[in-house]
Amino acid sequence: MRARFAFGASIVFLVAALLFFLKNYSAESSASETTTNSDVFEGLTCQCGCGLTVANCNMPTCSFAVPLRHDIDGMIAKGMTRAQIIAFYRKQYGEKILSAPTTEGFNILAWTMPFIALMVGGVAMMVAVGRWHSPAPTEPKPGASPAPFDPELRRRLEKELEERR
Amino acid sequence: MPQLGTLALAIALILAVYSIVANIYGARRNAPDFVVSARHAIWAMCAMVTIAVVVLWVALLRSDFSLEYVAAYSSTTLPTVYKITSLWGGQQGSLLFWTWLLSIFTSIAAFQNRRRNPEIAPYSLAVLAGVAIFFLLMLNFVTRPFDLLATPPAEGSDLNPLLQNYWMAIHPPSLYTGYVSATVPFSFGAAALITGKLDDGWIRSTRRWAIFSWFFLTLGNMFGARWAYEVLGWGGYWAWDPVENAAFMPWLVMTAYLHSVMIQERKDMLKVWNLALIGLAFGLTLFGTFITRSGVISSVHSFTQSGLGPYFLSFLIFVTLAYSALLIFRSKQLRSPAEFESYLSREAAFLFNNLMLVGIAFAVFWGTIFPVLSEAVRGVKITVGPPFFNRVNGPLALGLVALMGIGPLIAWRRTTAGNLVRSFAAPVIIGVSTGIVAAAEGLRQWYVLTAFSLAAFVLGTVLVEFRRGVSARRHMVAEAPAKALVNLVAKNNRRYGGYIIHVGVVVAFVGIVGSSFFRTEVKKSVQAGESFTIGSYTLRFQGLDQKDTPHMESATALVEVLGNDGREITVMEPAKLFFKRPQQPATKVAIRSTPFADLYVVLAGIDDSGQTATFEVFLTPLVFWLWAGGVLMVLGTVIVMWPNVRERAAIATALSQSPILTRELVGAEAGSD
Repeated sequence: MRARFAFGASIVFLVAALLFFLKNYSAESSASETTTNSDVFEGLTCQCGCGLTVANCNMPTCSFAVPLRHDIDGMIAKGMTRAQIIAFYRKQYGEKILSAPTTEGFNILAWTMPFIALMVGGVAMMVAVGRWHSPAPTEPKPGASPAPFDPELRRRLEKELEERR
Repeated sequence: MPQLGTLALAIALILAVYSIVANIYGARRNAPDFVVSARHAIWAMCAMVTIAVVVLWVALLRSDFSLEYVAAYSSTTLPTVYKITSLWGGQQGSLLFWTWLLSIFTSIAAFQNRRRNPEIAPYSLAVLAGVAIFFLLMLNFVTRPFDLLATPPAEGSDLNPLLQNYWMAIHPPSLYTGYVSATVPFSFGAAALITGKLDDGWIRSTRRWAIFSWFFLTLGNMFGARWAYEVLGWGGYWAWDPVENAAFMPWLVMTAYLHSVMIQERKDMLKVWNLALIGLAFGLTLFGTFITRSGVISSVHSFTQSGLGPYFLSFLIFVTLAYSALLIFRSKQLRSPAEFESYLSREAAFLFNNLMLVGIAFAVFWGTIFPVLSEAVRGVKITVGPPFFNRVNGPLALGLVALMGIGPLIAWRRTTAGNLVRSFAAPVIIGVSTGIVAAAEGLRQWYVLTAFSLAAFVLGTVLVEFRRGVSARRHMVAEAPAKALVNLVAKNNRRYGGYIIHVGVVVAFVGIVGSSFFRTEVKKSVQAGESFTIGSYTLRFQGLDQKDTPHMESATALVEVLGNDGREITVMEPAKLFFKRPQQPATKVAIRSTPFADLYVVLAGIDDSGQTATFEVFLTPLVFWLWAGGVLMVLGTVIVMWPNVRERAAIATALSQSPILTRELVGAEAGSD
């Protein structure tokens, strides 16, 4: 029972730690005192059909990414922040231009479901493990002759010794 | 000639249908002649598909534009090597190539099992033939590679320029080999469910196939990443594109499977889970093909997009339902008297490992399909790109790396606190020290510090394991350290090859973290003779070299690279290419790779006078180690798969000395495959 509790607690701890990491990782990767153009390019998806971010679209003559990068450089020069620039383009093109789902409404599911699934999987694992038989260690009775060596253990021992040779 | 290809595919379909019927009839009625006949039908099917492949290759090499496929994916000016790779450059050809691989693997499985596994092999071969039938139906009736044009053009449309690269020549075959070979263990799992022979015989019989599949999925993903790095010109190697994800998911699930089968082999546990994992791995290979071909999800890999999506989706649903029904039908028999003694055991570590791997696979799956869900539920198109996948999978990857270090050092069944301290003291000290040194060197990102510390911890655990094994050998047989190390690996190739794979994964992880967090970028327009700097390098543009061939026009920039001391290190030659058919521009990236950082130069533009060139230059630390990790994974897998001469010799000796053991040992030999 104690072991199951420990296991359950470790699953909860794991998911909590992951969510904490996620939050901080996310904050770290977007927190920057100065807005750089690559920060903004990474946050927007190219609309030429390549499916890549504006940073990654490789078409030298892309009719979307090339002028957009130029415009964004101009906005940064004027002092606009990453959030302001991205909000500007979101208003213009809708959510599809963002390279990641927002953290509001239905989109919350996108961010939380992997961790919910992980937790559900962990609980299912715990339930399955709980059903498995755990043999309790038995104390030998005083005066009893020593138990014969388990042949399976002997076979395994010999195999491992042979492997080490 | 094209008629020969069409005829061969039609005969192959008939043979595949016959082999299913004969295999099942022979197995059910205990009629070995039918099973033998079915096996011959499979080999004949393979021969027919091979004829079809040869016919298409000949047509491509001869530029026979009367064939619609050749006219669409080749040209007279296409270099010969790319005429050969055009076989998988388009929809019909890639399906034919897939079917060819499947027929070869089915034939090998039939040959391997001609005297083994008499109860499940016929059903397994029937399942393989069933999968082949699906592909042959597509090739015969839906997307025919030998369709003729009424008026053949004088010149073909040519292969997509992005595919005219040597990495692309080997990336799809590697990935397809990984995908298709996963069908073999899946078919044995399905056969075990059909026949009720649910011990670990099917796992032992397909162990090498599963590793083989994993090996090629690893290669396929690595080659694809390298292709993206060299061809796409954005300095990265992984964009979390849906098709990349589709190749990554089976790799993750297959990795989970390769770990969890060890528990079944050792402790007769996780039978349902292992069968579910191999079913999932196969289903994900179909899902990947569905994504590539359906166009349901926007992808950069739209080379082979077509109307095949519904067929693949139907087949995927059929396979999922049938396999799930079998699992449910056999669920009572799959229960085993499992023992689980402690959470401080290797079993528990492997369970966590499976949870993480399948969790990451689910996160990737979820991110891949979420745009479709969003559109269905809200009617709003959204994009799920790299920021999502990096943020969700980043923390999960840390957990997985930690488990890679913990698992191998914990004993089976249970570990005492004393053992834990003894086993983990050195690796923990190595990991923590690495973190402290990295922090002292000025690293402040907590993710990077954690990642480097965990990587060092895992390397420490592997070192501890090797040191322990070598010292045990030296103690027992008094060998020199080097000889003891070689013998240790040779005699326990599965175990120590596995550790080398772990080292490869960790080294690749360090490369991924380093290249993701510390990349710097400069974009500069310069005239000939002018220079600019990035990091410790100075780049001097010397001029342009322009060429015109029947196949393409090119402009190559000569860029002299100078070090801190002003001495020339190398001359790099990034280029802009303009393919004539189809008229399409492309970039040729120049890369100077060192273990510390890659200098990556892209010729982004040239002004009309040809005097001013614009360069996009990336300095990416540690990316070298991503590829080095890939090489280590390959090396480790080769060691794992290497035939264990000692084991086979022992079996041969035992067989010659004791005929009574024959049956058991033949089974064991089968298991080593």
